[in-house]
Amino acid sequence: MSVILDVKHLSKSFGENPVLKDIDFTVSKGEVISIIGASGSGKSTLLRCINLLETPSAGEILYHGENILSRNVKAPRYRSHVGMVFQSFNLFNNMSVLKNCTVGQRTVLGKSREEATANAVKYLEKVGMAPYVNAKPKQLSGGQKQRVAIARALAMEPEILLFDEPTSALDPEMVGEVLAVMKKLADDGMTMIVVTHEMAFAKDVSTRVIYMNDGVICEEGTPDDVFVNPQKEETKAFLARFRDKG
Amino acid sequence: MYSSLMLSRAGLVASNLGDDIAKLWREASPQYLKGARDTLILAVVATAVGCIIGLLCGILQTLKYSKSDFVLKKIFINVIKVVVRVYVEVFRGTPMILQAVFIYFGLPYLTSNALRFDVITAAYVVVSINTGAYMAETVRGGILSIDRGQTEGAMAIGMNHFQTMVKVILPQTLRNIIPQIGNNLIINIKDTSVMFIIGYAELFAAHKAYVGATYLYFPSAVVTMAIYLIMTVVCSLLLRLWEHFIDGPENFNLATTDTLALTSGMNNFPSGKRRRAR
Repeated sequence: MSVILDVKHLSKSFGENPVLKDIDFTVSKGEVISIIGASGSGKSTLLRCINLLETPSAGEILYHGENILSRNVKAPRYRSHVGMVFQSFNLFNNMSVLKNCTVGQRTVLGKSREEATANAVKYLEKVGMAPYVNAKPKQLSGGQKQRVAIARALAMEPEILLFDEPTSALDPEMVGEVLAVMKKLADDGMTMIVVTHEMAFAKDVSTRVIYMNDGVICEEGTPDDVFVNPQKEETKAFLARFRDKG
Repeated sequence: MYSSLMLSRAGLVASNLGDDIAKLWREASPQYLKGARDTLILAVVATAVGCIIGLLCGILQTLKYSKSDFVLKKIFINVIKVVVRVYVEVFRGTPMILQAVFIYFGLPYLTSNALRFDVITAAYVVVSINTGAYMAETVRGGILSIDRGQTEGAMAIGMNHFQTMVKVILPQTLRNIIPQIGNNLIINIKDTSVMFIIGYAELFAAHKAYVGATYLYFPSAVVTMAIYLIMTVVCSLLLRLWEHFIDGPENFNLATTDTLALTSGMNNFPSGKRRRAR
């Protein structure tokens, strides 16, 4: 399997406050990586660093061997290869569902209107939102918005897709539809990094689980390794807390 | 007894006023209407130009640089921001009537007549850049009011700063600042009256000219007031229509080509007409 991303010694501080400390991990094609951990452990910041929405304080992020933190790499160009789905959807409020999915293809990739539309409809069908092409985001439910957001990211045909707590802002009855779409993507072989609190999803769908605690990768392995045979005390405590709640 | 006397007196005054207005309209309606037209055109054009200036300044004020950018770029961005700030503070902080004097009389004075505007150009320039200074702050506020997530969503699909602004942020900003654009337009319709100082012949100038000749101060003021009010109310209605147009329809249509969309709501039940035909 070819390596897409190679994160080396990544650190990030906000002011004096270190959030990520010396993170190392790689992402290969077709992997579905779940990042779990308590709030404030640095999961989302790590994801945002990978997409350059935050500038890392130190370290390297190699994308196919090229360090994207060097000055010569244009961030927008790189971001168009790395899709991102946000907790709060971030659909463009001034555009219809269809336009949300075509605007990036047209302005960034320079596709024709017809090509962009056909492509957008293809991915909207995949997430079950094709009937809503004319709707504005404010007319949709949370789950529908998130599915459109996934289609918007997919329409750019990214090599890797990042999910930042995609179901955390949803009402409980809408979580399922979004997770179902994500599972379908995983089954189709999409490379994904998912920051999530959905332990069932992490366990059943991902190929690898990373447990983060206090800005470092505390434990990493297959879902079985982490959920069934956790080695570290912190991981055991975290999972126990979740079992109590759930 | 006394009250009926008062009433008849009031009736007398009202009929006098009516007569005076009728006389005024017979004698000078073309001047008033021409004044109204020139007021309206000046206000609309200057507000539009002011909006464009304001949009440009608003974008310039939101320019950002990161630590890793080159020194020259940082200096350049800071200089632009200072220039915009000075422009906004000067033209927002001084009376438009004096700005008109500075542009119309001051420029020729300072440049020994090398640079001079005619009255009409000077009026358009003054009102435009004055409106631009206010709009710059309005646009800046409008941009700040757009959720950070919109920018991040655009950046995440690879748009650069300019594309993000043009496609995502500014359309939403524009929608949010229409009420403020309306404010500026209405203020401009009224405040262009200060352009009489450089001799621009708008509605208030027509009023001044007429009362200078006839001493019919109050009747002329009534007519002028009414014309101003009609212009501002019509403009504010048109701006409301524009808002509705931008908002688009409240509901949306499901694309019927998708079979999944055939829910019960889309089945055609026999209508009343057909039933009657049967």
